[in-house]
Amino acid sequence: MEIDGNTLLLVFVFLFILYSNPSGDGVTSQYEYNQLQTLKAQYEQEHMQFSNLSSNHNFRNITGLKLSYGDVLQEPKINATYPIEGKDYDHWFANQNYTLLPESVEYEIKHSVWKTGHNVYPPNVTSTLRGQVKRSHDEEFVVVPMPIPEYYKPAQDLLQNRPSFAEPYDSELGDYQGSRNITFLEGEIVVEILSADTISGLYERETRFQNTQSDRWRFLHLNIHFSDYSENEKHAIRSKAIYDIQNGRILAFSESAKFHSLFALPHYMNLKNEDEATYNQVKTLVEEYWNATDFINTRSMAYLQNSYAVASTSCEFLAFLQLDPWSDFSQEQIRTIDKELTWPLGRSANLSSLPPVNISSGLIYSPDCGVRLQMKNVTGLRYELQVRKMRNLLLLGAVLLASQIYLLLRQMQHTNTPSLVNKISYWSFSLMNLVDGVLAIIFFVMTNSFAALYQPLIVCSFACLILASVFEMRYMISVYASQVNERNVSIFTLLRRNTDGDERPTPTVIPDEASISSSLYRSYVFKMLFSMIAILSVATWPRDLRAPVECLGIFVLSSYWVPQIVRNAVKGNMPRRTETESPTGTSLPQRQSKPPLLWTFVIGTSIIRFLPVAYVYSVPPNIFYHHQDRRFVAVVAAWLFIQIALLYSQDVFGGRWFLPNYTIPDGYKYHKAISSGELLEHGSSENHTIDCAICMNDVAVYVEDIAETHKVDQQSYMVTPCGHIFHTNCLENWMSYKLQCPVCRAPLPPL
Amino acid sequence: MATETPQGLSSFPVTKLCTLLSLGIPVFASVAGVKYWFLLYTDPFISTYKQYYRLMTFQISAVNETDVILITLIWYYYRHLERLLGSRKYLSLIALTWMYTSVVVLVTAWIFNLNPFLKWNRFTTGALPIVMSLFHFYKEHTPRMYRFDVKIIKPLGSRSKQIKWSFNDQFVINALVAILMLNQGLVGVVTAFLSWMCGVFIERGLFPGSEVFRLPLFKKSAQPGPSRGVVAAGPEPSPSESGSLHAAQGENGQEVEPGDEPSDEPARPLGVQFLNTFRM
Repeated sequence: MEIDGNTLLLVFVFLFILYSNPSGDGVTSQYEYNQLQTLKAQYEQEHMQFSNLSSNHNFRNITGLKLSYGDVLQEPKINATYPIEGKDYDHWFANQNYTLLPESVEYEIKHSVWKTGHNVYPPNVTSTLRGQVKRSHDEEFVVVPMPIPEYYKPAQDLLQNRPSFAEPYDSELGDYQGSRNITFLEGEIVVEILSADTISGLYERETRFQNTQSDRWRFLHLNIHFSDYSENEKHAIRSKAIYDIQNGRILAFSESAKFHSLFALPHYMNLKNEDEATYNQVKTLVEEYWNATDFINTRSMAYLQNSYAVASTSCEFLAFLQLDPWSDFSQEQIRTIDKELTWPLGRSANLSSLPPVNISSGLIYSPDCGVRLQMKNVTGLRYELQVRKMRNLLLLGAVLLASQIYLLLRQMQHTNTPSLVNKISYWSFSLMNLVDGVLAIIFFVMTNSFAALYQPLIVCSFACLILASVFEMRYMISVYASQVNERNVSIFTLLRRNTDGDERPTPTVIPDEASISSSLYRSYVFKMLFSMIAILSVATWPRDLRAPVECLGIFVLSSYWVPQIVRNAVKGNMPRRTETESPTGTSLPQRQSKPPLLWTFVIGTSIIRFLPVAYVYSVPPNIFYHHQDRRFVAVVAAWLFIQIALLYSQDVFGGRWFLPNYTIPDGYKYHKAISSGELLEHGSSENHTIDCAICMNDVAVYVEDIAETHKVDQQSYMVTPCGHIFHTNCLENWMSYKLQCPVCRAPLPPL
Repeated sequence: MATETPQGLSSFPVTKLCTLLSLGIPVFASVAGVKYWFLLYTDPFISTYKQYYRLMTFQISAVNETDVILITLIWYYYRHLERLLGSRKYLSLIALTWMYTSVVVLVTAWIFNLNPFLKWNRFTTGALPIVMSLFHFYKEHTPRMYRFDVKIIKPLGSRSKQIKWSFNDQFVINALVAILMLNQGLVGVVTAFLSWMCGVFIERGLFPGSEVFRLPLFKKSAQPGPSRGVVAAGPEPSPSESGSLHAAQGENGQEVEPGDEPSDEPARPLGVQFLNTFRM
């Protein structure tokens, strides 16, 4: 390429675009710069207040904490502002006049959710818990207004340089409340507990969080997702949480533009007015977190925009959880278990008997939406144990895949002639190939999201890839190649096994394997792409819609023997034990009556492909958290059984036993008498023989109108549809390689 | 030619088994997350947890990737030994050295730990002891075919002397063994030395068994495998037969086609089938 001025200019334009993206904190305009500075100043000021707070002081000017439930109860039209006349800022008590919680909720938390009394609780509770959630008493509560400060809002026009500082006194509650109000009564909940010991984020430096009280308190990130059973309505809460190891309590507050909840954690942890010490310890923990994350300096534009988006689309939540104690274990045992889980060495920790992390009682309350949710049966395995379980399953999957590869190789060896390969259904293998190829991609994509399972996932993905794109494709290519001369033949012609000559132009040039394989690989890639898109879009559908599609898909993909049954019928495979009476009186077994599919392959493949379906649909704690449907598993099993039974019956009674007789026309007969006219065409010799083009010896033929040839056995020679004549042995040998006439290359009907 | 080693590993079933296992087990352990099965430390594992199975397992698999590759390569170099001794004797010798080196290393460590100052806590992982005692056999029985000198004239400035290194045809395996030895630190060197002594003692008969001990359950057909010559006159020992041990171990019995009548098309082994896929 010639480098002239224009090219250089283009390079500079590219470089400019590349390097002029926003700097570390993502600020792209004067307005945004001011926005971010305001946010930082606000946090700075709130943190100052927080440092001076004690357990006896009320919150003052902290976003989201300006009003208490009691304030709103007294004056429903109150604005969230500071200072409020007549509000007691110098005391703090755990009742509705000071907190965001109504009295009934507060009572419930104090008396039935949170327990006191020290017990043994696991210090490390990183896990994903699942259970049910129930909404209760929606209408009882008044809504505490939580307006979003004005400076969070994006610029109204390009000329605006400074965010508005006006406090949104006339807070309209409407827009975010309507869109994500919780309308269901019962649903499912997923609580993801992450340890915040290491803090890192997209725009945050990785910092080790120094928790000086790690034996008593832990700082957690809690991601709570809940939805109704049919997944029409989904809610997600990202929250920061404090875990009280001695009492097994977890307090989690969501955080957004309208609720700077970090500063409220110590007060609410001390809801039961235990002592000053609890308050101070939690305050220290929050301070340590604040310092370790360098909270103010790490606020970025992305954080600001994200918290604005969250604030304007969702409610704020306070979650109060109580864990079940692990009272069967001593502190020492739990420490050993923890070590063994994080760094397995084979210590004597009985991991299989480890109880799940279990939330015995949990309550979620939203002050600005007035919703109270109750948790039920929320439980789950420790993260490391869950990973182990998944790893073991993946290894089992790899074993299944390996045995599938082995079976396929056996099958390939079994069908080593084109005549046998010709009887295999291309579409049977195409269906299996589709499943394996898609699995390979899914496993590969999953390596991204499960770093802990990278190796087993990549092994499975590789096994799938080898199976699908090497062995199965190889087999499909040879099947396709052996059937290529049937491509433009109608199914009736195939049933008749007759080529009437004028019905179609005989393709004299049959595409070679290279072109077949390249076209098959091309279609394979497109199939993969298409099914990936389909799967991804189906995965996001709500359950009511997804489940039937899923079932239908699995059912269709489990019908992989149906094309083979059809193929057997079309090819009219002989029953297994038919014996043809040869004129000499000895009975010879029919040469081509070998079934095209090995029975070990059929049964093994069916089992290998059925097991994962059975696991996902019928084992309750399966790793995919898939819903249970035993009836569907039974249906799939029955369907597979029917297919195998049909295949077996075709093996025993012949490929066409279920077709009525009149639909089965006679097939092409290779052994037949010829007329003297035909004999003449072949340039007959004196003794009425013809040269066999394969062995170059004479073939004695049975000519209808010449009586002296009538002692010739018609089974000893074969007449092809194109009129060429060979010895039976010669042509049969040849036909095990190619189904083409050795003389004129016209396709031959298989035996 | 008698001195030429046959191509491939099809006539070296034991070498094949050893190389495959010394690669396969670590890969499996890594995928399944059970690498710690093959660690041996006196302190927590034996003295506290009483996990005596580790005395058996610590030689089975290396946990370090470098060791895995080195040991695999060294097994490949040792195929001459299998050719010399025959498969059964070779396998018996491996089993014998496994036992002797384990005992010697563990007993030495136990005696060493009687001193109050220094503790021998960590043991090597992988087949380093077995490989080192077989190294003696290798050196003893493999003739040096050629040697060559590498002369470097004044490598360090004009006043330095000329350096001359002599190498023989075994310098690759020497280097591999040296790296393997050093790769596990001081413990590796000590263990390697002890194991090498074991090799010498086994060969000299000080440690009995090398002439007497044979592994049972070894198929007769595997015997005439590598050393041709006498058997060549008889019915040809097909590679699938001499590979029967390997097939019985269940890696992939693909090449074995029992009971097939000879066809005019040459049998395509798995490797060829595999490669044909890409041949277009």
